[in-house]
Amino acid sequence: MKVRFWGVRGSLPVPGANTERYGGNTSCVEITTAAGTRLIIDGGTGIRRLGKELMRAEFESGRGQAHILISHTHWDHIQGLPFFAPFYREGNRLFVYARQRDDQNLRSVFASQADAPFFPVSFDRTRAAVAFRELHDGVKFEIEDARVSTTRLNHPHVAMAYAVAADGARVAYVSDTAPFSDILFGQEFMSGPPSARSRLGKSDKAKLSAMAAAVARLCEGADLVIYDTMYTAEEYRQFPHFGHSRPSDAIAVCRAAGAKALSLFHHAPDRADAEVDAMLEQARDKARFQAKQLDIVAAFEGLEFTLGKV
Amino acid sequence: MDVTFWGVRGSIPSPGPATVRYGGNTSCVSVRLADGEIIVIDCGTGARNLGISLLASEFGKGKGRATVLLSHAHWDHIQGFPFFGPFYVPGNHFTVVGGSHSSELLERVLERQMAAQFFPVQSYRNMGAHIEMRAVSEDREVRAGAARITVHPNPHGPTEVLAYRIEADGKALVYASDVGYDAGGPPEATLAVYRGADLLIHDCTFTPEDRAQRMSRGLSSLDDAVEAARRAQVKRLALFHYDQDYSDRDVDELVARGRRQLDERGGQVIEILGAAEGLTLAL
Repeated sequence: MKVRFWGVRGSLPVPGANTERYGGNTSCVEITTAAGTRLIIDGGTGIRRLGKELMRAEFESGRGQAHILISHTHWDHIQGLPFFAPFYREGNRLFVYARQRDDQNLRSVFASQADAPFFPVSFDRTRAAVAFRELHDGVKFEIEDARVSTTRLNHPHVAMAYAVAADGARVAYVSDTAPFSDILFGQEFMSGPPSARSRLGKSDKAKLSAMAAAVARLCEGADLVIYDTMYTAEEYRQFPHFGHSRPSDAIAVCRAAGAKALSLFHHAPDRADAEVDAMLEQARDKARFQAKQLDIVAAFEGLEFTLGKV
Repeated sequence: MDVTFWGVRGSIPSPGPATVRYGGNTSCVSVRLADGEIIVIDCGTGARNLGISLLASEFGKGKGRATVLLSHAHWDHIQGFPFFGPFYVPGNHFTVVGGSHSSELLERVLERQMAAQFFPVQSYRNMGAHIEMRAVSEDREVRAGAARITVHPNPHGPTEVLAYRIEADGKALVYASDVGYDAGGPPEATLAVYRGADLLIHDCTFTPEDRAQRMSRGLSSLDDAVEAARRAQVKRLALFHYDQDYSDRDVDELVARGRRQLDERGGQVIEILGAAEGLTLAL
């Protein structure tokens, strides 16, 4: 299978000279199996260029098919979808997957992004056949020759992690998530870091360890783990209530899971190219002691992995 | 009056090596009056960098006041709102002006962007600063400190967009983005709002050829911008809101072509430039 990065940034797109090398588009990763099954994880602004690329082939003639797995519906993971050209060509078949919620219907969340007064083309006017599939936490399913497993993450409003296995290889996408140690995220807004007095209760601790164990299982033996490493250690100390991890958290998960490679992902908008370089360097130093077998890269737009059979 | 561009792009931010010179952030312009009064026009992703810059001043201490004018609520004009740093500092005070039938409706529109399924802060009320919503539908004139602001509705495809004329310090700035005139160009009432401006920031999303393919979008071509500037006899024209796929070279070409058109059509005295992120024009 091939894995290609189209957007690697968190929060919001950041154009400019400082982000030229790693790229300023928000989250989007494409996975294509040897048999041609196409999965896309997240629809940040990176998906616009992927859409243009797809329109050079069968999606232009309305014979394309793709499966879009959404980690969660925060803007930086869906804001590119209205600009995904294959939606507007009759005949294309698109399947959108995201975590099921009690309070909101998935289609309506997506459609509302294209409502007036925000966007000129209403979702009802997309021409492709679009089907929405809501996923329970932990569900496993097959998409053609790809086996997909899921587990929930520790992030405000809750995100879903995915692992995709095909062609004898396995890739895991773990974004966005906080470490499974200090705060348990539910649906509610947190205005600031929790105070030292409000220690985690027993049941919250149990939920977090169950979550951590499930994430480790999801990444077990993965050839590649793509992990939310938005924060440095110092930033995490300031903003533990925003729901993002550090490279050290990702390395610990990869080590526990025996993963082969880790891609730092969801770079902070402020992170200039040279700072991502430095973060990568530090992460590699750390891994040299803690996870010798682990290859670490920092995701950039255009980065491609070939895993297993092609 | 100092005018600074923070985002000059239309539709969606377009990061990458091809847009580094003019910039890939969506629409945002700031105005600083001689007495220090700040006016922000539109809150595309460029608003994030404007916010970072303002935090170094009284806005970082919770003592900032500013007026935010929104042309309309398409994403590329509001998507920077949740990422505007000064909104998160208690003590700062903002008046957000937008086109709506009521302040409640304007508030509801902006709140939808902040909702839990899309953004963790959940409501602009959680941001910290005092943010007052002010709809302009009936009253077509607004004041911001020493500035007198005229609000003018322009056609934008099936909807409406607001153009703003800001007069202060003896100068006039007009912001007219996302406008698609009917055949025949801007009507007299619109030209009257633009007339004699020291700077006209005008929608120039497309080349005339590209616009011909996309008439329904309700956006301007270079021709539309040049004609509006020429007929309204403005002093300076800033092309703005470039298509997301236009490279820096494409924009260079737009500016050069605009210069030729002005020269050929009797607009030699009008200065023309391409709006670029980080550019400040002193009026």
